[in-house]
Amino acid sequence: MLYPQVLRRRAVLALAAFAMQLVAAPSQAQLRLDITQGVRDAVPIAVVPFGGQAEGAPTEVASVVANDLRMSGRFAPLERRDIVARPTSGEEIRFEDWRLLRADFIVVGRVETDASGLAVSFELHNVRTGAPLLSERLPTTERGLRSTSHRVADLVFEKLTGLPGAFSTRIAYVAVDGRPPAQRYRLIVADADGYNPRTVADSTEPLMSPAWSPDGRSLAYVSFEGKASAIYVQRLSTGERVRVSARAGINGAPAWSPDGGRLALTLSREGNLDIYTLDLASQALTRVTTDEAIDTEPEWARDGESLYFTSDRAGSAQIYRVALDGARRAERVTFTNSYNARPRLSPDGKELAMVTLDRGGYRIAVMELASRNLRVLTTSAQDDSPSFAPNGAMLIYASRERGRGALAAVSADGAFHQRLSSDQGDVRDPAWSPIPPRG
Amino acid sequence: MPDFFREHLRPLAGSAGLHLLLLAILAGAALRWTSSQPPVELAIEGYVVDSAPPQRPATKSQRVEPLPKPQSDSPPPPEPAAEPAAMRREEDASVAERAAREQLETEQRAERAAAERQRAAEAAEAKRRAAEAETRRKVADDEAKRQAAEREAKRKAEAEDARRKSEAAAQAERDARQSAEREAALRRRLAAEEEAGAAVSAGVMDEYRRMLAQTIERSWIRPPSARAGLQCTLLVTQAPGGTVMDVTLGACNGDAAVRESITNAVYRASPLPAPRDPRAFERRLEIVFKPTE
Repeated sequence: MLYPQVLRRRAVLALAAFAMQLVAAPSQAQLRLDITQGVRDAVPIAVVPFGGQAEGAPTEVASVVANDLRMSGRFAPLERRDIVARPTSGEEIRFEDWRLLRADFIVVGRVETDASGLAVSFELHNVRTGAPLLSERLPTTERGLRSTSHRVADLVFEKLTGLPGAFSTRIAYVAVDGRPPAQRYRLIVADADGYNPRTVADSTEPLMSPAWSPDGRSLAYVSFEGKASAIYVQRLSTGERVRVSARAGINGAPAWSPDGGRLALTLSREGNLDIYTLDLASQALTRVTTDEAIDTEPEWARDGESLYFTSDRAGSAQIYRVALDGARRAERVTFTNSYNARPRLSPDGKELAMVTLDRGGYRIAVMELASRNLRVLTTSAQDDSPSFAPNGAMLIYASRERGRGALAAVSADGAFHQRLSSDQGDVRDPAWSPIPPRG
Repeated sequence: MPDFFREHLRPLAGSAGLHLLLLAILAGAALRWTSSQPPVELAIEGYVVDSAPPQRPATKSQRVEPLPKPQSDSPPPPEPAAEPAAMRREEDASVAERAAREQLETEQRAERAAAERQRAAEAAEAKRRAAEAETRRKVADDEAKRQAAEREAKRKAEAEDARRKSEAAAQAERDARQSAEREAALRRRLAAEEEAGAAVSAGVMDEYRRMLAQTIERSWIRPPSARAGLQCTLLVTQAPGGTVMDVTLGACNGDAAVRESITNAVYRASPLPAPRDPRAFERRLEIVFKPTE
């Protein structure tokens, strides 16, 4: 009785083993596995001091590049004291040294002087594989060394993140000095890292809401310089400016259409605040909203065919969207919190940054439009005026620090925060420029 | 797994029964072993204890038996010094008297000689008896010794026999256990061999795959350009210690940032974790990066 049983069992097992071998045969050669997630760490990178420059030179290329990369929150440049070898070209790199320092990538380069002026040559290598990833030579001048350094950081950033670098961009903001009634308002444009602040408008009356033209050459802003509000468009290269709207009541919150041909703005000419569009060439004004509630802070959709805006038509501030053709019926976009305002669209048009009332504080949040998932990025109580970097990787916003306005930045995923120090007193209303055209 | 048990229930039960039986034998042998052991120990002691008793009765009999005392019971001395003086006085008496005295003396002499002879005979007899007793004692002693030796030999033989028997039983038990173990091991090996493919590719393989994936995921600094829809394959060669030897990019729809990041993820994860079962180790890995969001 036992014997046939055993035989049968053996046979079954042998069959099963045979079947297993058949199935397992392909994976014998190699093991296959899937990776579905990663981490949000800063990439360790060595930025070696560039050759042809004395240490402590006014504009040290490597310092500017390392600082840019660090400020992006996506890179962790090696500390200068850890950088002992000083290769200035690819052949001089001993990769094993840098592997010991746990760098993943390395930037080396030098500033060359020739008859025609200066040039910055640099190379980017993968330390782990030794593979060369970038090798460029950028002509520059003594004065242009800083912006060339930002350009180097841009190229490295783009190669390693897949996003265009935004280090060569600028930020506009308003600084307020003094106390009422002797206050002074300045509209300032600075490099994205805060260097080279330059006053482009100056007034004893409030200046507000700077907005970059899509080509990055002009700013629209609100000025109360005639004791009443008016919207100006100013060309940065010449300082030439045009008053585009000075209608009775409030003229506020200008926003450029994607093609740069129109401005969306808020006017109170009919008694309460409504959204209008203004054709800059023809000065034709078109009313977009007619609701009796306050409608303000317009933001263009990427296709230029609809506007996002803030309205309190439902009792408290929420964000709505209205198409510019047809019935112009506004649809509500935000539902999560009791207060959502100041919509700003991400460069890819898929996300909306806003100020939200989150657990008792006005904070910066980003909502994914498709899913309506809202992620709150900041933790302070009075954050305002979010503005996406043109690569969408970060947002700059206004915050309060020791009772004064201050600027801060946060990565779009909320992982990296930084305060932008300012010696310009009370600062507010930041706006990040588009990526300037190159050529 | 339940299938495995069901299928193996009968042999498993058989094996369990066999083990129980062997356990019982072992227990019995152990009991016998413990009861037969003290005598063996005593027997060893007995070499000392048993050699004394045969000697003890012998010394006792030596003491009890009347020792021949010929030396101490020697006949009274003949006093030859007094005799001549008496004879001189008697010379003065009659010849008859003298003759009678002489006769008496002769008789007395004969008597004395007879007594002497008697005594000598008695002494000889005593000597003989003593010798006889000695012989008997010796014989008895020898007999006692012989008997003791015999008893000892018998005891030793019995102890030896018991020991041999219990040893044989233990050996038999050991043999039985060993053969049972061998059979069980053989059965296990057979089962393991039959199962080998399944075990490594299912349980252990899954775990190994998971460990590798987790290690690499922790090392992958995912660039912003790595979005859902990305799919990139790396062919990785690792040394037996897990050190990454080579990373080759296969099909990949990602940009340079993705390619560099995934390659470095594998290098950063080196040395890769080892599987629980070394047989699951695989030199060549095919790693597919496909983020879900």
